[in-house]
Amino acid sequence: MAVNGGSEHFDVIVVGAGPAGSAAALIAARAGLSVALIERGEYPGAKNVSGAVFYGSAILNKLIPGWWEQAPVERHVCRRDLVLMSPTTSVSLDFRSSAAGYSEPPYNGFTILRPKFDRWFAAQAEAAGAFLLTSAVVDDVIKEDGQVVGVQVRRDMGELRGDVVIACDGANSWLARKAGLQRELHTHELSLGVKEVIGLDEATIRERFQLTGDEGVALEYVGAVTDSVHGGAFLYTNRDSLSLGILGQLSSLVEHKKRPYDLLEAFKAHPAVAPLVRGGTLREYSAHLIPEAGWNMVPTLYGDGILVAGDAAGFCLATGIYIEGINYAIQSGLAAGTAAVEACRRQDFTRYSLMKYMELLYQRNVLTDLRAYRHAPAFVNGERLQNVYPELAARISESLFRVAGDRKQKLLPLYWQTLQQVGTKPRHVLKDLYHVARAYLW
Amino acid sequence: MVMTTHDEKMRTVRFRVDDTAHISVDGEKCKSCAVRACVTVCPAGLFVPLDDGSVLFNYEQCFECGACYFVCTQEGAIRWTYPRGGFGVTFRES
Amino acid sequence: MHIAVCLSRLPDPNTVEVDPLTGAVDASRMLYILNPADAAALERALQLRAPEDRVTALTVGPAEADSILRDALAVGADDVLRVWEEGRTSTRPAVTALLLATALRTTELPDMLLCGTRSLATGSGKVPALIAEYLDWPVVTDIVDFTLQGSMVRFLRRLAKGARSEGEVMLPAVLAVEAGAAALRYAGLPDLMKAKRAAIPVQDLSELGLSPVDLNFPAPTAQATMPPYRRPREIFVPEASLPPHERVLQVMSAGIAQKSGRIVSGSPEQAADQIIAFLADRGFVDRAG
Repeated sequence: MAVNGGSEHFDVIVVGAGPAGSAAALIAARAGLSVALIERGEYPGAKNVSGAVFYGSAILNKLIPGWWEQAPVERHVCRRDLVLMSPTTSVSLDFRSSAAGYSEPPYNGFTILRPKFDRWFAAQAEAAGAFLLTSAVVDDVIKEDGQVVGVQVRRDMGELRGDVVIACDGANSWLARKAGLQRELHTHELSLGVKEVIGLDEATIRERFQLTGDEGVALEYVGAVTDSVHGGAFLYTNRDSLSLGILGQLSSLVEHKKRPYDLLEAFKAHPAVAPLVRGGTLREYSAHLIPEAGWNMVPTLYGDGILVAGDAAGFCLATGIYIEGINYAIQSGLAAGTAAVEACRRQDFTRYSLMKYMELLYQRNVLTDLRAYRHAPAFVNGERLQNVYPELAARISESLFRVAGDRKQKLLPLYWQTLQQVGTKPRHVLKDLYHVARAYLW
Repeated sequence: MVMTTHDEKMRTVRFRVDDTAHISVDGEKCKSCAVRACVTVCPAGLFVPLDDGSVLFNYEQCFECGACYFVCTQEGAIRWTYPRGGFGVTFRES
Repeated sequence: MHIAVCLSRLPDPNTVEVDPLTGAVDASRMLYILNPADAAALERALQLRAPEDRVTALTVGPAEADSILRDALAVGADDVLRVWEEGRTSTRPAVTALLLATALRTTELPDMLLCGTRSLATGSGKVPALIAEYLDWPVVTDIVDFTLQGSMVRFLRRLAKGARSEGEVMLPAVLAVEAGAAALRYAGLPDLMKAKRAAIPVQDLSELGLSPVDLNFPAPTAQATMPPYRRPREIFVPEASLPPHERVLQVMSAGIAQKSGRIVSGSPEQAADQIIAFLADRGFVDRAG
């Protein structure tokens, strides 16, 4: 064993032991490479926060067959609700399936708690032979003649050298910026998520959310739930707790001067949410940034000796229908790990060799999905979807379902009338219909 | 209790506080800032505006999310790094 | 010189949550740390170490306790040793002390044994004294500072109410230091990596020449005593008959002005009568007496 970290050399150095980092380390270690997986927290997951639903069961199943049997998962998601909110009313689309793929292996998604899941996943990489180093924060990359040849850890003699560095250091990626691959991000590209884990006993959760056994539900909210701030909210069921939180676009929080934790309290007090959380006790409060701009904030993904994956690369799909990130983190981690393995085989670590990563990202549908839904984030965080349409849906439903002895209106006049009440012009709606179609239909 | 005050929320989070601050705020630069975006967005409520127009920051209960870094409009007012490895916030369940 | 340091891994008090109804502690939410006083002891040992010296870190605990020994290796301990009886779930101070003392005796007696003066967990502070008893060494507890002069240690102890006492002790000795005695250094990267890969030696009872019976100490018995009854404190109340202004003045002075002395006059008998009457008024003596 060398006395100086600088004289120990790894084939691959992965920075950040989240889902992307552990996936990259796992696949590279399985290929027989020497891999260092570096994490700044006390343990993997110590600094990580997600909602969290993990919609990548099938992906992980290819890597670790029957992974859910050994991993710390909470509930498999077989019910999803999309809820439009006005201050008093909610209109929801309730999806529930016990079809194959939802309630049977390999399942569609699981609710997870990141500190537990990430620790387990990093342990899988470690078992495959990766060297997991915790309590080590990476400050910078080491460059020689423009080629990244290692990382600088903030400890004495903290130089660590390797052929390929894979930056999986999260939404606020210093490594991608220091390596000159990512620009400074704008506040409209990032959302702040604040979250609470609320303890509630298993029986109550099953009864309250109409679940049996290990079934779970994912509820997602948009509209007045975040006041005028552009964002949304979520509520997921864990085994014996609920994960709930709100997301607010940074620029919008600043514009409306709303404190995130006040919005969280208002969310819990909303008449559609309060009965779901009643009787619970707060177990943990947390917060994290989310890269929400999708395709438009993807950095340069590869350089000489370096690859960027996971949240650091902005691989997050926040389109309203899909709110996914962990699956893309794992897919991109696997792609980066594979690209590193092939580069090591060729002993060529230039950007031309690592460009293979792009091809793998398309193969694994990361860039394909992000590109297909590239117009969605702007629409989802747009003023009318955020604040007008949920109100519209609430008012139309209110009129539609109210029986007061008046003459019943047919739908189109009711629709026009409500549109005028909320102050939106028909041409705006037509324009939005076009945007929706462009973002989601073709 | 489901409804909680900000103090009650913060009490559920575990921090290993380092001796030195990982984020420092130059209060003088904040005097010419009208937005004070950091005060609004910080999920831990660690930025406190002072009467003299500057902003006081307490690093000890920081979530290390980076929100303050991205919203700050005053060049050089926030010096931002992660804490030393092993220190700072440790989430147990989130 | 060979310095041994005893370490303990315990739950971070900030993560220990007691259910107010059942009194149960949620173990799944606890995170563990190296006892701060032990960390200070380790740092003092490392500061004291000359190039030819050796620092050995020991702990009593299950496999999870390896983490603190790795931390000790990372900051510079030369050797580590974990002592444990498989299947054991907890230890009392007497057991911990016996295991540590026996381990030291069977491997190699050090010239100095450093430990934290008390743990954050129970804080009884018994272990250092009990180890000293098993080794038949002197023990100094509550050390805030010490210097080594040859084979003599000059120490500064913390006493109650901020007082300090100085003293000397000859080695070998058990020195138990306070958490504030030193801040543990931050490991360098190569040492951290090396420590992560190191194998942690473990000794069980048979290797120590002990049998489980040796660890069966009679349960400690406590004798219940009632503290002496204390007279309730008199709370000053202003006289209700006075005008508000006067009462406010009385409240503001908190009755202190009233404590002025009174000089009795007259013959000795008269003076004595006055004093007795005064004391009887306030209930200190029986009027009949």
